[in-house]
Amino acid sequence: MVVKNLPGILLALAACLIPLVYGGNGYIMGLMVSGLIVAGVALAWALLGNLGGMVSFGHAAFFGVGAYASALLSAKAGLPVPLSLLAGGAVAALSSLAMLPALRLSGPYFALAILAYAHIFKILATELSWLTGGSAGFARFPVLPTIAGIDFSSRIGSYWLLVVMVGLCLLAYRAVKASHVGTALRAMAESEDATRVVGVNATLLKAWMLLLSAFITGLFGAMNAHIINFLEPDYAFSGTWSVLPIIAAIFGGYRTILGPVAGAVAIYLFDQLVAKAILPVGHQIILGVLLAGMILIAPNGLFGLFGKKKTGAAHAAA
Amino acid sequence: MLRLEDVTVRFGGLVALKDVSFAMGAGEILGLVGPNGAGKTTLFNTISGLVRPRSGNILFEEREIGGMALHARARLGLGRTFQIPQPMHHLTVRENLTVAQVFGAGKSDPARIDEILQVMELAEHAERDAATELALQELKRLEIAKALATNPRLLLLDEVLAGLESQAKRRFIAKLRELHQRYGLTIVIVEHDIETISTLCSRAVVLNFGQVIADGAPDDVFRNPAVVESYTGTADA
Amino acid sequence: MLELSQQAIFSGLLVGSVYALVALGIALTFGAMKIINLAHGELVLLAAYMAYFIESRTGWNPYAAIPLAFAITAVVSIAVYLLIDRIKLHRELNSLILTFAIGIILTNGILLVFASDVRSTNSPVLQDALSFHTVYAMKGELTAFVVSLAVMSALWWWLKLSWYGRAVRAVSSNRDAAMLMGIDPRRVELAAFLVAGILASVAGVALFTMSVVQPALGPALTVKAFVVTVLAGVGSIPGVFCAALLLGVTEAMTVTLASSALQELVGMVLFLLVLFFMPNGLFGARARRG
Repeated sequence: MVVKNLPGILLALAACLIPLVYGGNGYIMGLMVSGLIVAGVALAWALLGNLGGMVSFGHAAFFGVGAYASALLSAKAGLPVPLSLLAGGAVAALSSLAMLPALRLSGPYFALAILAYAHIFKILATELSWLTGGSAGFARFPVLPTIAGIDFSSRIGSYWLLVVMVGLCLLAYRAVKASHVGTALRAMAESEDATRVVGVNATLLKAWMLLLSAFITGLFGAMNAHIINFLEPDYAFSGTWSVLPIIAAIFGGYRTILGPVAGAVAIYLFDQLVAKAILPVGHQIILGVLLAGMILIAPNGLFGLFGKKKTGAAHAAA
Repeated sequence: MLRLEDVTVRFGGLVALKDVSFAMGAGEILGLVGPNGAGKTTLFNTISGLVRPRSGNILFEEREIGGMALHARARLGLGRTFQIPQPMHHLTVRENLTVAQVFGAGKSDPARIDEILQVMELAEHAERDAATELALQELKRLEIAKALATNPRLLLLDEVLAGLESQAKRRFIAKLRELHQRYGLTIVIVEHDIETISTLCSRAVVLNFGQVIADGAPDDVFRNPAVVESYTGTADA
Repeated sequence: MLELSQQAIFSGLLVGSVYALVALGIALTFGAMKIINLAHGELVLLAAYMAYFIESRTGWNPYAAIPLAFAITAVVSIAVYLLIDRIKLHRELNSLILTFAIGIILTNGILLVFASDVRSTNSPVLQDALSFHTVYAMKGELTAFVVSLAVMSALWWWLKLSWYGRAVRAVSSNRDAAMLMGIDPRRVELAAFLVAGILASVAGVALFTMSVVQPALGPALTVKAFVVTVLAGVGSIPGVFCAALLLGVTEAMTVTLASSALQELVGMVLFLLVLFFMPNGLFGARARRG
């Protein structure tokens, strides 16, 4: 049991050790906080890809919607920040309902529809300036609160909160994957007719995965908004929030549960510390090369390279 | 139980089924017969929801199901097998049955899964990967087991006996009779072997070029000159 | 108002012809290989920057850049094909991610070489305005329209009469049968990517002469091309042409009647509506349902 959970235990240990070692280094802790935000989105992306069988190029839409929803609800409706964070996730999930017709489209067309969808939200956020402040940005909204003596708006406080949130999302993901719904979705990937003919409502299950993925993405978008404490459409809906999670999930192995999370932190740190040092402008070119290389050499992720070659291992691995 | 009224199916310009009508009562075992390409599998696909009819009605227990989604028909109690077995990939045999039961029958009952595994002689393969670790005859039994796990009242069997030598076939016919009794099933079976139809079925419907050309007791049907012609015509070819 | 609308329709038709060229490149590779090249917009952009390069270095007319632009887009397009060809598993989705990654590489490559400034032509000839009764156009726009029409006619003729047209029809209907008939599908696919490169090079140069370009433009071009192919439904050239003109006019009308920021929104909404509710497109039939 311990051996099976070893990667998870190591990851949890690393998460606990980092603040002990780098707790005083605001720069590193800031990077870790952003890395964990990306990790949350990468997890959500991989959940949709692995369980729902859908590749999304538009998670920036859910990220931005969650960010704006939480910021606006806390600033204009006076909602306490912990609730507005959840509301951010909920509004993002709600916004994904508009994508439901796309679930009936086959893979590539779904990917394209969601790409267009992300563009639409970015334009809306810019145009609805009476609500969002438009391209001038939106800053007057509360930071993360202090609860029971812990200041969550500090880097250390945000860090721990994010560790717990990512952990909870991991557990939720694992629970869904292990459930009957997860089993049916696993079958759907390569035998859709056979799965539907025994009574599985494929579209409904995929819809639930889209909703869950959008919720998690919105939640982390909201967290990021309250940590950065400034929003503008070009930032909140930036393509970066779609690109980084894809690279992270592919890099870490999107068929695995922990891979995207570990991959996200690794990729984010690599991008900020290494790629940016080499190329201050256009450093994403390195990420592009990395992503292309991963797809060509190890589409199941780095963990997949070392994984067992048994049939179905890619799916069974956790 | 099942009633088809003037069901017509087209693929582009091709008429696959033309004005197919027949009705069957609960508890019947009906043999669906006809040369290759006569539309038997298309008929199964139409009843189970993979193919939408151009016109006509399909009534299951007096309820129109022609416009219903595939999965919804399975939940109503309509089970089917595929001629080329279609196991659910990346799942073990037991998981195949569990998914079928949870989603098709709407409940989780591991004891019943064990029973089906026993009945279909799959118990020793229960933990194997269904798509990659089963032999053809095991896959065919899994097809039936999956359908049974959804708790069907009507079962559509597509050439489940093909490829068996005569003794195994006799055993399997007895098995189907047992299933019919034990689970109170109504069965439609596609089968080429006239003798099998005669021993197993109370009734036979013959399709040729997408149309019903005979419908009645097997022995009468197989003496019908039109049937003999359609059958021997292709059998000799 | 009426005159403004007339002007919008006219300008929309002119820019629409370039959209058609971009869309046909995507439709061509999709038709041959069932693969959507998400880097196609970046390919067009690359050609546009070649036009900028030639014009800013030599002062020549941007159209003189077509040979250079073609050489570069052809090489990149074939490289994209060779990379896609290496994918063995889940080709449909993995190729999307791969071409997405190539798009990121190209966008950032352009950014590195040409910086993020907005560029447009300085050619006085192309910026010269011509008026026709109540509407007017820059010579650059008219030239782009004529060149696009000429390229599309050539493509139409080539698809109709060459070996490729027959082969691609055979391959896309049944790959195995086509191989039995002695058609090498890889040759067909390679030709499709090569011709898509030609189309991208002309479209990019034309785009530069009539509009402004910047490194971040690639994805928007790709999405516009999809909007067109989805509206058109089937990969027929007249269908794509009509859909592209429709998009161009719709965008221009939106800018005139509402605001320029809403320009892209209209295209996207149109795209989603057609995708969701008319899955066969406006002008044809092809199943997109999974």
